[in-house]
Amino acid sequence: MEKVFELESNAEILIDLRKDLRDLLRQAGWDGKSMDKIVLSVDEALTNVIRHAYAGVRGPIRMTFRDSEEKTEITIEDHGKKFDPTLVPEPKLPREEPGGLGVHLIRTIMDELIYDKNFLEGNRLRMIKRKPRK
Amino acid sequence: MKIQMTNQGDVSVVELEGELDFHSSPELRSRLGELASKQAPKILIDLKKVGYMDSSGIATFVEAFQKTKRYHGRLILADLTPAVRGIFEIAKLESIFEIATDQDEAMNRFAGKN
Repeated sequence: MEKVFELESNAEILIDLRKDLRDLLRQAGWDGKSMDKIVLSVDEALTNVIRHAYAGVRGPIRMTFRDSEEKTEITIEDHGKKFDPTLVPEPKLPREEPGGLGVHLIRTIMDELIYDKNFLEGNRLRMIKRKPRK
Repeated sequence: MKIQMTNQGDVSVVELEGELDFHSSPELRSRLGELASKQAPKILIDLKKVGYMDSSGIATFVEAFQKTKRYHGRLILADLTPAVRGIFEIAKLESIFEIATDQDEAMNRFAGKN
């Protein structure tokens, strides 16, 4: 199963996108708890694009959802300023100052977080969650 | 996100409904900031109807907590839904915040009953 979303970097899109993503994850066979966590990871990654890559300016985002028997993979591409979340240092927890938790949440939830350095037009981030063996 | 604010005695009760994310958190941040600037002594945030929260929501609560702590106020979060509790667990924030099962327990704590 594959679905491509053409989006605009605007925080207002997040609520509807989460709804669409929950539907896709349900179809992919994820349970409620895992679904909530994957949705959170994607939300955090998109928020980083809106905040850091585009810094509040509107710009295109392409999100590709791919699902197979072994894994669910979500790829997010933008044409904004370079922002590599894999270089963000791990925060010291519990963190008593606001901010700095988004990437930590993604790393904790997803099995792989891959930033494509060869994607020259902006940023391409792949997030992979492997399915439990049956 | 719906934000309803009432007073029960000296407790400022903030009831939230909806999804707390990068889009909705600035309004909540501003409303909690108003309470902190008035040095509200006791703030109860009811999360019973919050089905989703991201790190922007957490940052909002951490900021409100730090502000109330500065003037020796007290902030209690009540009735966390499983999705919200999950994010507190991942961020290991349960040790930072005072968390009550529901509004009644939070009110009893403010009143010094437990």
